[in-house]
Amino acid sequence: MEEKRLQAIIEEIWPRLKRKHLYPEIPIPKIGKVHDPLDEGNEKNDGVGLEMKDKQMTINPAFLSTLNGKMAEENLIEALLDHGITHYTFCPWDFQTHLTLYSEAKKVMGDKESAKQAANYFIDVIADTHCVKKRATEIPELHRNLKKGTVEEVIASLYQRIWGIDLGISPSKKGDDEVVRRLARIPYLDRSRWPESIRKFARSLKPLLILEQNEKEARGGKGESNPQGEHDLDHYSYEEIDQGLRDYAQKTMGLSEFKEVVEDFSAELKEMGYGIEGGMGRGRGAPIDADVLFYMKLAENYSIPLRKIPLEEVGTLHPHSHSPWEVGSPFQDIDIWTSFGKIMPGITQIWKKKEGKGRGKIEGAPDCLIIIDSSGSMINPRKNLSYAVLGAACVTNAYLRNDSKVAVYNFSDAPMGGRDVLDYTANREEVYRVLCKYFGGGTALDLEDIMPMIKRKKEMDLFIITDMKITNLETLIGFFGKIQNRITAVHIGENPYAARFEKAVEKRKNINIFTVKKKEDIPHIVLGSIREYFNPIHRGR
Amino acid sequence: MKNACLKKKTPNPLQQEVHDTLNPFEEFKTFQFRKTEIPLDQIVQSTEVIMDQIRLGYERLLEEEAKELVWMVQYNTIIKAYEVAEKYIKEIDYSAEDIEDFCFALESPQKIPYLIPGPAGIYISALCNYAKEEEIVLKLSELKTEINLIGFRLPKGKRLMVEGDTGDFTGIGLEGGELVVEGNTKNWTGAGMRGGKILVKKNIGLHTGEWMMGGEIYVGGRVRGLGNIVEGKVYERDKLVYPGKARYPNLYY
Amino acid sequence: MNDRKVSVVEKNGYQKQVMAIYRFISDHLYFNRPDIEIKGESYNSTILLSLLTGLTKGKELIIGEPGLGKTTSAEFICSLVYQFPLGVIWGSEVSGHPEQTEEKIIGRPDLGKLNRGEEDVVWTNFSQMPVKIVDEINRLPETKQSMILDGVDRGNWEYLNEMIINDEYCLFATANYQDGGTNTLIAPLVDRFDVIVESRYPGANLSFLIGKSRGKEHILRHPKYEKDLYRVLKSKIAYEKKIPKLEEICNAFGEYVHETLEVKPLRRGDRDRIRTEMGSLDLDLDASAFARMLLAELSFCERYGQKRIVENCEEGCHYTGYLCRQIKNCASNRLPTSIKLFSQGLAWLLGDSEIDIEHVKAVMPFTLSHRVQWKDEVLSQKERAKRDDPFQIFLAKEAVKTVSQRYREQSDHLKDALALGSKIFQGESLEPLEGDHPIYTEIKKDIRHRRNH
Repeated sequence: MEEKRLQAIIEEIWPRLKRKHLYPEIPIPKIGKVHDPLDEGNEKNDGVGLEMKDKQMTINPAFLSTLNGKMAEENLIEALLDHGITHYTFCPWDFQTHLTLYSEAKKVMGDKESAKQAANYFIDVIADTHCVKKRATEIPELHRNLKKGTVEEVIASLYQRIWGIDLGISPSKKGDDEVVRRLARIPYLDRSRWPESIRKFARSLKPLLILEQNEKEARGGKGESNPQGEHDLDHYSYEEIDQGLRDYAQKTMGLSEFKEVVEDFSAELKEMGYGIEGGMGRGRGAPIDADVLFYMKLAENYSIPLRKIPLEEVGTLHPHSHSPWEVGSPFQDIDIWTSFGKIMPGITQIWKKKEGKGRGKIEGAPDCLIIIDSSGSMINPRKNLSYAVLGAACVTNAYLRNDSKVAVYNFSDAPMGGRDVLDYTANREEVYRVLCKYFGGGTALDLEDIMPMIKRKKEMDLFIITDMKITNLETLIGFFGKIQNRITAVHIGENPYAARFEKAVEKRKNINIFTVKKKEDIPHIVLGSIREYFNPIHRGR
Repeated sequence: MKNACLKKKTPNPLQQEVHDTLNPFEEFKTFQFRKTEIPLDQIVQSTEVIMDQIRLGYERLLEEEAKELVWMVQYNTIIKAYEVAEKYIKEIDYSAEDIEDFCFALESPQKIPYLIPGPAGIYISALCNYAKEEEIVLKLSELKTEINLIGFRLPKGKRLMVEGDTGDFTGIGLEGGELVVEGNTKNWTGAGMRGGKILVKKNIGLHTGEWMMGGEIYVGGRVRGLGNIVEGKVYERDKLVYPGKARYPNLYY
Repeated sequence: MNDRKVSVVEKNGYQKQVMAIYRFISDHLYFNRPDIEIKGESYNSTILLSLLTGLTKGKELIIGEPGLGKTTSAEFICSLVYQFPLGVIWGSEVSGHPEQTEEKIIGRPDLGKLNRGEEDVVWTNFSQMPVKIVDEINRLPETKQSMILDGVDRGNWEYLNEMIINDEYCLFATANYQDGGTNTLIAPLVDRFDVIVESRYPGANLSFLIGKSRGKEHILRHPKYEKDLYRVLKSKIAYEKKIPKLEEICNAFGEYVHETLEVKPLRRGDRDRIRTEMGSLDLDLDASAFARMLLAELSFCERYGQKRIVENCEEGCHYTGYLCRQIKNCASNRLPTSIKLFSQGLAWLLGDSEIDIEHVKAVMPFTLSHRVQWKDEVLSQKERAKRDDPFQIFLAKEAVKTVSQRYREQSDHLKDALALGSKIFQGESLEPLEGDHPIYTEIKKDIRHRRNH
């Protein structure tokens, strides 16, 4: 009954709220129980007022009753919803921003828990300040009435100062006043400066946050709940997380940074079903390999065009079926027998001709063997961003997207056992795992390994990515000279070996060579393109 | 010619109409933007203005110093640079937090294109010495650069606390103030100091207290090497190491 | 702007009448789930947008799997909005196949007269009727697609130097997903459609219900009126003279429907008045500024002046975060026209006195999805995303969402910039506002142009 009454209040104010916030894409909020991990033993469950899960806001009736008599119910609900909506419309806005803020906070705080805390406080300050500045809101009234711990007291004091609204906070201790003064100088509403701002925010609040953390530990890990709701991954949908990780990988371009963040959030990610599949998938519960995930997400930002094998049709045109003649159509194909000798639209018929089919093949992409060099002269993909692995990852995506399979031959000093071979598969994760393997020894290919993989397939493409500092480069050149498959060779950086290779195969039409010096070069790779596509002169030869 | 003049005087009515009707923003004609301000805007704006002034002062100092092709840490160079810095700083009304912001701005090439460690340290020291506050706290733990020359000529009555490590020449020429470094300092710490106190929570480098004329240096960790000290005291982990017979200048231990 | 009250236009009952048609179709004829929410109410996008297409004289492309009611949804709308019995609508449809001829689509020579050496044209029902349905338009050769869309664009149908002019008409075309079959819809032709919707699977339960209630379309048939209408359409009188006769029979059919089914179809006069009312609705400032922001993102290129399909984005461009970076082509001038037309229709239907952002946002994805060509990397990033809509509509919805996020943040500043632009146009000596979005550069370009001339 009570819940129905509160729901009715929400339904009444929701159209106005939506208009106020310029129609955010959020479903109508609900009244109901909320999950409060910090308050699990408490039967009352009144610590958290608002929960946001995948855009669905839920207001806790038990929390509303704690402020009975202090604030009108309608105003209280509106304040909570203003806060929740602003998280969606302004800060953190998306998962990538959330990750960025967290990782910046961690640089200052050092540990995961207090970094999360700092990021949460920062996000709340921004959301509430934005709302107070831009919209008519009851958020200040809410803060006046909320129960406050040490940090909350300082934050409320900050609000007093930066909003210019009395929230009933008395002048604080000298130390706290200094913290407030420092916090008040942060340009919270300038999105472009959020990374530096959160560092400053965390720096200023660090002693208090450590104190709070210690108090929490003393209470057996139980802290105070955030009445305006916690900021965890529940806010985001699976797709938003996926997109966020992709953007974050692209933005940082740094393996270690990405890895650190993914590992910090690994428990939450796994809980959401974010494991690894043949793409990242749901619910397998396998451990998250952050390196593989990094290349996976980063590779999704690039698209390499793959030329399909063209349709071959041999044969001449022959009359196939009839179709009606139209005014203005040519006369030469008229079938006078079925037209009764008349040239009249609707009566006259023409022959429709078709090309006779020869040994035609359906257009499509063949499977691909990726040969990747992981010798000592190459970058270790699990330590730093490797363009070789990123390039090979993009190639994998290109072939898998075209329903083809990919095999991998990852080599260092192959004759001495420095190699890993993956047979043709459509499992993206498996391919990435083998691509990410690093041997770090000498560089030699063993053709005995590769030959069976090539011979088994009637049609297949070859993709080799290396710095060309291969001991038996001549053998490789000789081998490439013998086969007719489309070969895309990518060399990382310029060196004399690469020049030698280029010179040796320059006359071969089925080999294309690309250089990757920076990540922007990756999309320029055209897989399976053979020179005659570009240069028709070759065709005549 | 006459016709041309006439044409000029009487505007083409069609053209006129086109101009009048083709205002692509017509519907916004009556829109009045009511900007709401909160105190934060004012605080952020004035912080920006001050930061610009501080930045400008630093750039001017660099311009002056750029005349010297190589900036060497020599008595005259430092004194001259400090005098130039003083000149610009005296005109700015700033707070301790602005100094900290400036330290971080030094690491952002978008904000300050050139970080030349010597003049930067002198400039920061001048900022500290002329700050209104008696106690200045600089939270520089995440700063990647270790600032040299910080605490130069820190006067009596001032307390400068640095969270994080500092570079060479920390607290040189200290004039009675108290410099606390929560991390490590490098070589030539306290060189030429005349009085006051330097407290280094962790380790200190070589030539510590070179030509020191008075005051005390307390080191929580290890002293890598002492300089030629004229007068004053150096403590390592509460133990007096100068004056004392055990230590020789720049002895590694 | 936020506190502006959205007052409801003086209702003359047409909204109610149209909503009754919507409900009748969704309850009795075209079973499907609601899939969009506007102003707190849920609707089925296929019925809603088809209804608006009929009312606004628009052009709609309906896509979907075979057998999921693409054509029938359009037929029901046409029958109830234009008072035609289904039999006549079926007889006027053009079905798409490669051998389709101009004679079957527009008109043919009167063979009797031609034998006597006279020229006269027998117009097809398709060209004469105000409701035009083309089934499987993608199977028509490009020349025929173009012919139909040209005719519908202008309302003129020409054959052998004769011409008829449709005063009132709307077009519904259906297409299967572009599966690389014999013909596909090429981009310049697709652009002619105002909106694209998907007629989707209604779910196992509703689908089962559809199976049980076969033959439901018979309630919208009437053999006598159908014969009467055919007679008029076939008659040799001038086209202009046929119209009132057709209307007369349509009105009688409308009365019949009203009496038997308790839903009142719209008469010609009703439709005209509705269109006048729709036409009087304007975009409020937020809706206008938002639409401009979206258009700027879909057309802007700092380097080359505008988006062109033959040009690629420059490395290191400042505007990497905007839609211009994700798409290949430039928005056409038909896009804003469609957005306005359909938002007017929607705002009118919901009884609002102005078009606000919510109206615009609701129709935008459907006006946008078929007109935008996304870059491959965008497609590859999002192809596996969880979604309910066809990929193109999904991408358009995401794009609209993203731009509306940006708009929310900049609304005041942008409106201020536009207001300032207006003042400069009025001759005031002011400087345009700066901002980090292509729209500010576009405003400056307009101002510069004004100053130079």
